[in-house]
Amino acid sequence: MVELKNVDVYYKEGDVEALNDVNLRINDGEFVFIVGSSGAGKSTLLKLLTRERKPTNGRVFVNGYNLSKLREGKVPKFRRSIGMIFQDFRLIPNLTVYENVAFVLRVTDRSRRFIRQRVPYVLNLVRLSDKARAYPSQLSGGEQQRVAIARAFASDPGLIIADEPTGNIDPELSYEIVELLKDINKCGTTVLMVTHEHDLVKYFGGRIISLKKGSVDFDDYIGGNDG
Amino acid sequence: MRSSNFSYLVKQGVVSVWHNRIMSFASFCILMVSLLLIGLAVLISLDISIVIGNIEDKNEILVFVDGDVPDSELSYITEILQSYNNEFVDRVVFRPKEEAWQMARDNPIYRDVKALFDAVGENPMPSTFVVTLWDITRINEAADIFRAIEGVEEIYAPYDFAEILITIRNTFSMIGIAILSALVVVCLVIIYNTARSSVFARRMQINIMKHVGATNAFIRIPFFIEGMFIGILAGAASWALTRVAYNSVVSVFTEDITILQIFGLANVIVFDDIMWLALAANCFAGAMLGAIGTIMSMGKHLKV
Repeated sequence: MVELKNVDVYYKEGDVEALNDVNLRINDGEFVFIVGSSGAGKSTLLKLLTRERKPTNGRVFVNGYNLSKLREGKVPKFRRSIGMIFQDFRLIPNLTVYENVAFVLRVTDRSRRFIRQRVPYVLNLVRLSDKARAYPSQLSGGEQQRVAIARAFASDPGLIIADEPTGNIDPELSYEIVELLKDINKCGTTVLMVTHEHDLVKYFGGRIISLKKGSVDFDDYIGGNDG
Repeated sequence: MRSSNFSYLVKQGVVSVWHNRIMSFASFCILMVSLLLIGLAVLISLDISIVIGNIEDKNEILVFVDGDVPDSELSYITEILQSYNNEFVDRVVFRPKEEAWQMARDNPIYRDVKALFDAVGENPMPSTFVVTLWDITRINEAADIFRAIEGVEEIYAPYDFAEILITIRNTFSMIGIAILSALVVVCLVIIYNTARSSVFARRMQINIMKHVGATNAFIRIPFFIEGMFIGILAGAASWALTRVAYNSVVSVFTEDITILQIFGLANVIVFDDIMWLALAANCFAGAMLGAIGTIMSMGKHLKV
């Protein structure tokens, strides 16, 4: 569960607020699109949810952690409970596809046996089993993003945060990426996807949170066209 | 942490040396040159201390005994002189008046005036104690004490020589410490910056690790191993270079018999005698410098 209570964020004393009295609640198992123009506060919201920064005022809860009070030493453990997907993929270039996915499991101190079972499973899920030995530079943008999705899902986190995951790939592949995230959501994982692409949002529908000038401008469900 | 994951991190550290080979090579070269310079500076300053020590050994105080005191009653003077062993006296050698006379007669300086020795007839030389000091800085104090001993007629102490030696030793010590300190600081700055460039080139990798929940320790281990591995290689290479460079310098000096006699270079450090100790020291210093340099330069990138 994700919950923000009366959250304000400003970067410098007396500066314009990046987030202004934001109240949000996202229940377990939801799929939510977060939209908004540049400067609306999307990046700040993501930084709060990944505990890259703390709110100036208010409280932030993610997966049972109170991020407003979370000590630095506990941040790694918290981050293991979420999966991150980035616009620029952020794969480790000198590791193979298999190793990139396995890496997150090593970080969480999983056994070698578990890693040997889990990695092929998630690579199969994103249809990249045949690319397991390839390096990121040998893959297309869409394939790299699928690896990133596999990595985010590998540790079976309760929440996946996708920061413009379709921003660096061909438009026709964007739908495939969202489909994959929808499939993961069906397994019970909460998915929070930040995007600029309104066509995509309209196509898939569901819960949409729109930010404008640091505040929640719209938070409701819309119907989609994907059946 | 599971042993399998730890061994994975160690392997990653070693593999990273090859993956980041350009920066690894730069770090290797910087570390190697740094260790070579520091190693040579240490050896040379130790050698200078040894050479000065050798010259100091040639420094003697002559304690002339009153001619009226028979040789058989001189043991108490020996005891008094030797009682200062812990303070400044290294060794005491008694030279009877007959030996002193014979030495004077045999001295090649007087070979043209040998007839004078025959003319003198009776031996005019006093019995002498030749006292070598291990702490030359206390020569004035020693001379005053020896002069006050009953039965001692006169003292000869090479005050000027001692003063020059002390000045030379102090100057060399200060220069040695200054050069060594400057070298260590310069090397640390260069190593730190090289490591920082190496880490900066992989800041994205560190950022990814932080986002997937890696602890700082988990992120540091491969970098630590990598820095250490490069450091050990650089330590071994610098050891080989130090050996060649040092032996060449020493051989130039030891081949010259005159220098050898004046400075007692025969006693300088023989590299092959301390070969394994030097190798261990070089590798240890390299490993520490490499690892610490890398770890120190990571701090900023870990704050995500």
